[in-house]
Amino acid sequence: MTIDSVVVIVIQLVLAVAVTPVLIGVMRTTRARLEGRVGGGIGQPWRDLRKLLAKEPTRAPGSTPVLTVAPILLMTSSLLLCALIPLASTLALASIPGDLFVVVSVLLLGTVALALLGLESGTAFGGMGSSRHMVIAALVEPTVLLSIYALSVPAGTSALAAIVQTRRAEPASLLNPVSLLAIVALVVVVIAETGRLPVDNPSTHLELTMIHEAMILESGGRDLGWLELGSWLRLTALLGLVANLALPWGIGQDASPLTLGVGIVAITVKVLVLGSVLAAAEVFIAKLRLFRVPELLAGSFVLAFLSVSASYLVF
Amino acid sequence: MTVLESAINLVDAGLLAQLLLGALAILAAVVAPSRLRSLLAGAPIVCAGIAAAATGTAALLGGVGTGLRIPVALPLTVPLEPLLLAPDQLGGLFMALAGVVVALAALFGIGYAHGPAASRTGWTAFAVFAVGMQLVPAAADAVTFLLAWELMAGGSTVLLLADHATREPVRRATIWYAVMTHLSFLFLLAGFGVLTAAAGGTSWATMAAASVAGPAASLAFVLLIAGFATKAGLVPVHVWLPQAHPEAPSHMSAAMSAAMVKMGVYGILLLILRLLPDGPRWWSIVLIALGAGSALYGILQASVQADLKKLLAYSTTENIGLITTAIGVGLLLRDAGQNGVADVALVAALLLAVSHAAFKSVLFLGAGSVLHATGERDLDLLGGLAARMPWTSVTFGIGALGAAALPVTSGFVAEWALLQSLIHVDARADRLIAIVIPITMGVVALTVGLGLLTFVKAYGIGFLARPRTQAAAEAHEAGPAMRVAMVLGAVLVVGLGLVPGPLAQALAGAVSAGGVSTTGGAGLLLSTVDVVLNPVALTLLTLGILIPLVAMNAVLARRHPRRDVDLAWGCGGERISPRMEYNATSYSEPLVRVFRSSLQASQLVDVVRHDQSPLLVEQMTFTQATGDVIEDRLYLPATRWAGRLGDLARTVQNGSIHRYVGFSFAALVLVLVLVAL
Amino acid sequence: MSNDLYQQLIATTTGLLLLAAVLQIWGRSIVRAIGLLVVQGIALAGLVLTVGLHAGEGSAFLVAGLLLVVKAVVMPWAMLRSARMIGVTREHSARVKPAVELIGAAGLTLLAYAVSGPILGNRTDPASQAVPVGVSLVLLGFWQLLVRGSAITQLVGFLMLDNGIAAISFLTSGGLPLVVELGATLDVLLVVLILGVLVVRLQAEQGHIDISELRELHD
Repeated sequence: MTIDSVVVIVIQLVLAVAVTPVLIGVMRTTRARLEGRVGGGIGQPWRDLRKLLAKEPTRAPGSTPVLTVAPILLMTSSLLLCALIPLASTLALASIPGDLFVVVSVLLLGTVALALLGLESGTAFGGMGSSRHMVIAALVEPTVLLSIYALSVPAGTSALAAIVQTRRAEPASLLNPVSLLAIVALVVVVIAETGRLPVDNPSTHLELTMIHEAMILESGGRDLGWLELGSWLRLTALLGLVANLALPWGIGQDASPLTLGVGIVAITVKVLVLGSVLAAAEVFIAKLRLFRVPELLAGSFVLAFLSVSASYLVF
Repeated sequence: MTVLESAINLVDAGLLAQLLLGALAILAAVVAPSRLRSLLAGAPIVCAGIAAAATGTAALLGGVGTGLRIPVALPLTVPLEPLLLAPDQLGGLFMALAGVVVALAALFGIGYAHGPAASRTGWTAFAVFAVGMQLVPAAADAVTFLLAWELMAGGSTVLLLADHATREPVRRATIWYAVMTHLSFLFLLAGFGVLTAAAGGTSWATMAAASVAGPAASLAFVLLIAGFATKAGLVPVHVWLPQAHPEAPSHMSAAMSAAMVKMGVYGILLLILRLLPDGPRWWSIVLIALGAGSALYGILQASVQADLKKLLAYSTTENIGLITTAIGVGLLLRDAGQNGVADVALVAALLLAVSHAAFKSVLFLGAGSVLHATGERDLDLLGGLAARMPWTSVTFGIGALGAAALPVTSGFVAEWALLQSLIHVDARADRLIAIVIPITMGVVALTVGLGLLTFVKAYGIGFLARPRTQAAAEAHEAGPAMRVAMVLGAVLVVGLGLVPGPLAQALAGAVSAGGVSTTGGAGLLLSTVDVVLNPVALTLLTLGILIPLVAMNAVLARRHPRRDVDLAWGCGGERISPRMEYNATSYSEPLVRVFRSSLQASQLVDVVRHDQSPLLVEQMTFTQATGDVIEDRLYLPATRWAGRLGDLARTVQNGSIHRYVGFSFAALVLVLVLVAL
Repeated sequence: MSNDLYQQLIATTTGLLLLAAVLQIWGRSIVRAIGLLVVQGIALAGLVLTVGLHAGEGSAFLVAGLLLVVKAVVMPWAMLRSARMIGVTREHSARVKPAVELIGAAGLTLLAYAVSGPILGNRTDPASQAVPVGVSLVLLGFWQLLVRGSAITQLVGFLMLDNGIAAISFLTSGGLPLVVELGATLDVLLVVLILGVLVVRLQAEQGHIDISELRELHD
């Protein structure tokens, strides 16, 4: 049992690290093609990463160890997410059942690492990015917890694996309003937490709009490589979570090679498809003004809230 | 019966030891020469704190003494019962909590206290305050309780006044504090009066046995909750807290914020669990509303403060709010018959209380250390302290992690338990619960989110980046006593977070909750709701990921070592001035925009234009102010009315001797007439 | 129709109604609001079909078809046409902040759930369990009438209110009060057509369609 779980965790980690650059490549290529550009190709993120990790970072005088620690912390948080979220299999460690609150706090640990890194640089941009990043993280928190809450009511537990299993056993429950509202709210959360349009534009360095890029502006070389990979891994993990909650088919429930193999293929396909849909949707939307983001988050909060009350009061 | 006759067991001996050590501290404070005073007076207080921690733990784990009786020999016609000190399990918990905080604060104070805080009065007041506070939860009857309560209040008021000669805000803060404290005392006096009259006795046992119900119980509940809420700093009676905490000497702020406000929480628990356990349902709704309102309001105010100690003070209101919410939820669920989940909520309340005591001590001590080193507590003027004060920086960082409820700290465990209790409520059966619980969940979640922002700001602006002023640039590390206190506190924050199982099991006894057990040595198993949390396993998994990652990073670093450059990129140019950095005010500016109306924010941009051309700007000033809505809307009108009443009274009392003699004469005549009738 | 499937269909259609209503409150685009009305019309027709078939009434297809045509095709088309004619595509004159509007909507939905229980008594069939959704549609419709300024969004709010009433009547009566509902639907259709013309006139005469500006009464 425990050995099986460890195998599953190792497989999920390797899978996530292998799939992530491809996912980013696919998303960028999709976007480029739809915008009439050629794009760098699917392998480009991987090449970027190799280049960055082999370059030396720089350090300004007076910097603190946060400069070195934050990228590693972000990576750790993202990898922990990939280990705790049921991606290829719902088999979880008995002593660390991928409890949703634990997962969220691990996610927040990465968020905090990034925000501190932004402040550490001591430039106006870093602080600006960090401030915006934290405001969004703070306002998104109610939606996160309430949508989790809504999803965990039918399953009677906040353990992710159990929720996915319950949903898989009752496909009819996927379409009921509780579940629909919660999933829509969760998608907004994923968009906000991973800094995609319309909350943040990952491909801009325009000073008035950037959030994520502003925080990592001062980092270079190896540090930047870790930061990029860490942020991408977050996207993979969260997309995988939404995919498995919305369409729980194909995910393995034990560690036998066959079901694991099916699970690996299923999650890869789901994440890649979901990623390209997201990228295609991004072509058609513009970035929201920063001060309209709270409206978006309030909306998703209301959806999550309704989902919870509906789950109690009607269904 | 005298003191010595009482059977000597651990609890009784501990109580006696605290009293004696307190007396010793006062003696030392009075006679010791000023050079040695802090050491000689502080050491016995540290010992008294440790004694309280040991006594409290013994009582919490079920040790029962015969009680310490202190005969009162006052020349009164009414014979007073001897004062009785006999902590039960709940009292033991809060005594231990107060003891640990007092020990840390006093240890810090040995190195920190200077000026008036280190005077004879300063240390005497601290000793009186500390011992009084430790004895509040030990009291077994209303009279003893109120006596200890007043010792605590009096001692803290005197110590709060320490700097009054040099700083004006101190006087204002002390007036607020004194007024609110006495208001709290009056409410308690009235409340216990009602209870005593209804139950026919002052001891807790009598009151519990009488099972008071009906209007008398509700009246007592309202009065006592008002009193305890004032001490605990709940909205809308929190106003003293953001004024008093920043102005008190820092070791005192730590003790007040981490332990003294908890006495209000203890009072609430004592009231609803022991004295009046079968209250109507609206009591729990009152507690949830008070708690949720305080949590949200407190953290919203905290997130926009630039004054480090004020930020921490508002965050105290938030945490007490969360504790009260958890208590209210527990009470509501007990009323609805969902005892299993109710127990989880009550244990969550105690976990929140314990973890808040741990991390808030560290944070206030850290703020004290910063204040000591730079003379500043305005975050806008700090920065770059991580390189200059590594010990303070690391311990404050750990405290901030705890306050932001991130793993693996005690704050995380506590908030996890609270959220678990909320999501496991069965709300289908009961519409009130189905409406209250999701709202509570939303409020708690927003509080958690804003808490994260608040402490990222406090740590990132204060300790990272480059110093914004000369004072911050010349900061130095704290002395050994202060350092030890901060490190011990930080160890507590992480330690309690790593072994939540045994901790929660011990706490469960205090509220007689079932279904809480330890799993896998340290993990926490809540069997009634069937969830497990094992921070040790999580840490091991993290290490399993972290170690290969660090190894890989090290290999890469060996091949391509880090290069030092003269300047960071800074938008193509050198970072000329630290004034260009983001500061605390700018950090929370987006939040101020979002919550403008609740914060009463006002912004002023002042532009000075060049003489020659209006297109050229010479200078710009930006001022942002946020107000406390409740203070402005509730207290200012109240004080204004009080002032008017005072003016009216002037017409009667105008200082003329003849008029006063006339009053006495009139009174005499009146009495004579009344007697004759 | 099995009971499970019935329950599931009721849940899905009412869920869709509620989701569309919240999205309407959320957005500021008039075109999108009209699009969401189409979704609501389809969901309402689906609900009618489900309830009718479960009650074993053959006329359900007829009613559902009619509702679909009127609520999901004719009315939105008429509104879209007037919106296009006057060239107004976004709401500009809301009277409260969007976030406040949304939170208010959440509160109203909660209120709807809270009051539906006592009103319904102890009926437990799946249809009446979904009545709170209808009540929330009514409240949300009113809410939109209250806080929005533009005449077209007012119309949208009014239609949402009507959809709510229709949903409640179908869910509680079990069978189909065919004549009544058809009468009401046609009335509403008439109102929409007339108001559609009126809005175009308003724009032509006043240069705006903000009804909060219309204060004076002419004789």
